[in-house]
Amino acid sequence: MNLADNLEDLRARFEDALKNSAGASSLDAVRVAFLGRSGEVTAVRRSIGKLPPAERPAAGQRINEAVEQMERALNEAQANAQALEVGASLSQRIDVTFPSIKPQQGSIHPMKRVMHDVCAYFERHGFAVVVGPEIEPDYYNFDALNIPPDHPAREGFDSFFLTPNLLLRPHTSPMQIRTMQQHRPPVAVVVPGTCYRRDAVDARHLFQFNQCEGLLIDEGVHMGHLKGMLTGMCREIFGSEQQVRFRPSYFPFTEPSAEVDTTCPLCRGAGGECRMCGGSGWIELGGAGMVHPNVLRNVEYDPDVYSGWAFGFGVERMALVRYDVDDIRRFFENDHAFLEQLA
Amino acid sequence: MRVPLGWLRDYVELPADPAAVAEMLALLGFPVAAIEMRPAITGVIAGRIAELGKHPNADRLQVGRIDVGDGAPLTIATAATNVAAGQTIAVATIGARLPKLTIERRKMRGLESEGMMISADELALPEEWFEDGIMQFDESLQPGTDVVEYFRLSEAVLDVEITSNRVDAMSLIGLARELAAYQNVPLRTPDLSHPGGGAGGPKAEVTIESPDCRRFVAQIFTRVESGPSPAWMRIRLALAGQRPINRLVDISNYVMLETAQPLHFYDAGKIPNKHLIVRDAREGERFVALDSSEHELNPQALVIASETSAECLAGLMGARNSEVTDQTTEIILESANFSGPRIRRTAGQLGFRTEASSRHEKSLAPALTAVGAARAAQLLAQAGATPHEPVAFGEPLSAAAPIEFKISDVKRLLGYELPLPEISERLDGLGFKVEPLTGGVLRVVPPAWRTDITCSADVIEEIARMAGYDRISSEIPAVRAHDIASGDYRRERKAAVTLAALGYREIVTYSLHGAQVYDKIRRAGLDPPARPIEVQNPLSEEQRYLRHSLGPAMVTHLANANQPARAFEIGHIFYNEDRQPLETSMAFFAFSAEPRDEPEWHDSNYLRAKGDCEAFLREMTGESRFETAADEREGFHPGKTGVVLMGGREIAVVGQVDPRLQRTFESRLPIYACRIILSTLPPYDVPQFKPPSKLPSTYRDLALVCDADLPAQRLENALRSAAGAWCTAVIAFDEYRGSQVPPGKKSLAIRLTLQKPDATITDAEADAVVEKAVSALHAEFGVTLRV
Ligand SMILES: [Zn+2]
Repeated sequence: MNLADNLEDLRARFEDALKNSAGASSLDAVRVAFLGRSGEVTAVRRSIGKLPPAERPAAGQRINEAVEQMERALNEAQANAQALEVGASLSQRIDVTFPSIKPQQGSIHPMKRVMHDVCAYFERHGFAVVVGPEIEPDYYNFDALNIPPDHPAREGFDSFFLTPNLLLRPHTSPMQIRTMQQHRPPVAVVVPGTCYRRDAVDARHLFQFNQCEGLLIDEGVHMGHLKGMLTGMCREIFGSEQQVRFRPSYFPFTEPSAEVDTTCPLCRGAGGECRMCGGSGWIELGGAGMVHPNVLRNVEYDPDVYSGWAFGFGVERMALVRYDVDDIRRFFENDHAFLEQLA
Repeated sequence: MRVPLGWLRDYVELPADPAAVAEMLALLGFPVAAIEMRPAITGVIAGRIAELGKHPNADRLQVGRIDVGDGAPLTIATAATNVAAGQTIAVATIGARLPKLTIERRKMRGLESEGMMISADELALPEEWFEDGIMQFDESLQPGTDVVEYFRLSEAVLDVEITSNRVDAMSLIGLARELAAYQNVPLRTPDLSHPGGGAGGPKAEVTIESPDCRRFVAQIFTRVESGPSPAWMRIRLALAGQRPINRLVDISNYVMLETAQPLHFYDAGKIPNKHLIVRDAREGERFVALDSSEHELNPQALVIASETSAECLAGLMGARNSEVTDQTTEIILESANFSGPRIRRTAGQLGFRTEASSRHEKSLAPALTAVGAARAAQLLAQAGATPHEPVAFGEPLSAAAPIEFKISDVKRLLGYELPLPEISERLDGLGFKVEPLTGGVLRVVPPAWRTDITCSADVIEEIARMAGYDRISSEIPAVRAHDIASGDYRRERKAAVTLAALGYREIVTYSLHGAQVYDKIRRAGLDPPARPIEVQNPLSEEQRYLRHSLGPAMVTHLANANQPARAFEIGHIFYNEDRQPLETSMAFFAFSAEPRDEPEWHDSNYLRAKGDCEAFLREMTGESRFETAADEREGFHPGKTGVVLMGGREIAVVGQVDPRLQRTFESRLPIYACRIILSTLPPYDVPQFKPPSKLPSTYRDLALVCDADLPAQRLENALRSAAGAWCTAVIAFDEYRGSQVPPGKKSLAIRLTLQKPDATITDAEADAVVEKAVSALHAEFGVTLRV
């Protein structure tokens, strides 16, 4: 066969292939088969070498023309095919309301979320977050916190003992002492962590719970700073309108001491028949106060130079209020519906 | 403490609304747990039985003519048997409203009854604490007096919580003083001057042998008459939650509730030589308390004894032997002060508490002994007893030490300034003496009854309380820079966020559990921890042991789900090391999954768990490649467990939970888990960017036949090093065992990716690398290419 016949035959087969191809991907196959590196055109091109040298340029010219034609046809066919495919896609109509395919979704426990939010708030204001052991000697739990043996307040911390002087901490306050022993003022920390008390379990009480402790010590720190930070914290956790109220109270490690209340987020302080606050309009968060001078002395801080405050709030209790949960035990039951709803 | 508002009003002017009083108390630091409202009762008056006779038509009824002051006497029939002519009783007149009924004109067996004689129950008083039948009043109560108004029976009772530092406020006068100072109105105390008899009368002798008795006021009363207390006292005691007993016991309780000072009365006739000795109890000394409970004492208990026997457990309860009875005519009054801790220890040891001990154990002020004695003497004298000279034993009363501080400290702690006159006035209302010194210094002497005020911060709290805590402003402090690090917490938080992102739900479980966890481990044929950490005083057996792992609670959680679920927990675990209880923070994640139909040498659920583990470790450490070694670990499947090593150190265990545990923990589904001791993780190593080569790479998929027990990771590593510097990745992606390969062999499909740093790699070069590498593997492991 001469070159012309070859090319004619090639073109015929190319057109057949083009006609029989369906869609962009089979057009690609046609392109490879005819125009690819080891395609048919290459074979024809090689045959030029057998021609007398004088005929070669013209033959090359003819081949190039054929290639151009084929490419044009291919491009055109490809454009048509793509248009068809896009058209087909555009005409699709699905039921977008059909239930989604669920991802494997994880979540943070709601109590821990509150804990992280409290810590994040204080971190933003320059506090560090420190954690400590849950087994503590009575020195850190009591003595160093101005609760000597025989102090009536020890009864308020009905604790689980492992040995006569080693116990599961009933509060996170031991970390106040550990932190102050290791650092000189300024000290600004929050301490999240698990605590234990021998409380009979009911809808409001657990024998194991989590606390968030806060401690700020420096020159010139006063109770107004405590109220300011706690108001900000409550707004972060419960909503932007929260107010904070202090009531006098007694803790051996703070003086003056306060019980901290915040506006009931459910009734917004209106009280009445509110089931969350029992009608008082206030929710009790926990204790706070100015660190007792004896505690400062115990860590060799001069109470005439440094002052500071501390607070300790129950995290489950805050979560109970934030998520309007009816029973505090749910935070340890890990019921699927509970975790999913509050994820 | 139950505080009847009607009683409290004796001492201080108060708002009518009980809620307003409660609010005030709360803002003073005495939260009110409950406001017990009293039922509205009207139309009950005092009546005197002028005549009493039999009902004409009924044997069981009596008919009285009752003098009710103004107007005609009333004719009233009653079935009660405790009535007699001359008595002053409670009468509900026609129209009277009682808690359970309204009195109407009615006929009783044909006789018109113009009202009803009523009992304590109808006045909403605990009937078992009052006379059986019709309520009796004192003769002095004028007929016609409105009973509800006179006894303030409609006034609410507040349940007030009193913090342990304020034992002085465990009394009506104490609370009244707070309310008076806060409102800036006068406190009306009862007459506390001592009506002691002249010298020369009988005196008690007290020998104090223990330093734990600081003061003991003793006084003899003669011509004591017993019998019931007047109605007003019985009603007040009942509303305050104290059962009325008799005139003497009631006076001691009344004075305690009023002043906080507990008292004890001894029948002087039972005390030889009227000599009392405060001493340690003797080992094994028997003591029968007046409630008839019997105790065997030891020297830790403090007793007040006669010359022959213990007559009172100090601060707790008297002995039956010298208890006052209806026959008592002469008593010794004890108003004493004891060491609080000593009383608390004894109460704890003997396992009982009384109203008296709950005050003594909080360390009362010694000065209150005189107050209590004086008030009791007043009431005893009113009741007709003859007081004799009181004698005080023990330490003399000393004035409280003055406290000096700078006025500027008020602002330094509270954040706001108070003018000196206001400070003085506020403290004065509470009984403090205030004296300004030069240099802005205040000298403050706390009142004798306040044992809780020992430093300037205590005084400043008093100022703040009286000024009102709402005066404290809200300020955001400018926190100065410090060097305290948050590393451990941030690692825990990052672990939680990472695991949540990997699709695990966080759970929080109890750290304490019962022996049943160990039973399940034992029933699985495994060993529970040899020396678990045990709580010495658990509330229940379910809380006896501290968890050694987060695994059991996790497996329990997933078993309860009963369908495929994924969860994680981060928390402390506890273990003994050299008999020292230690703890560390663990992260534990796990999922349950339906078993898959896979050959026994392959478990894709394991590979999923391992993938999550690697993703977690990557996020926590910054490393991207981890080595795993097959190993056995307690709680995990012996053939499906890998330990992940980093720098030769074990940082994670990942595998299937031991199927025997799956069975004893009753999980329908197999569980795959990973545990990480967070402190073993190296600090996060920030990855450094290497620009990827722009030159094309090539790959070869090799089917390598090797021994079935040759770990893929070893083959990968060998291939990587044999392939040399051009090798950029080696990864096994399929495994085959079966008829296509010889027995004991497997075929591993491994993709080897090759790239030259400076030029495009040619096919020939790639083939050469493969050939060299495969022959190296052949030499090392006998590996052949599968064809
Ligand atoms: Zn509310």
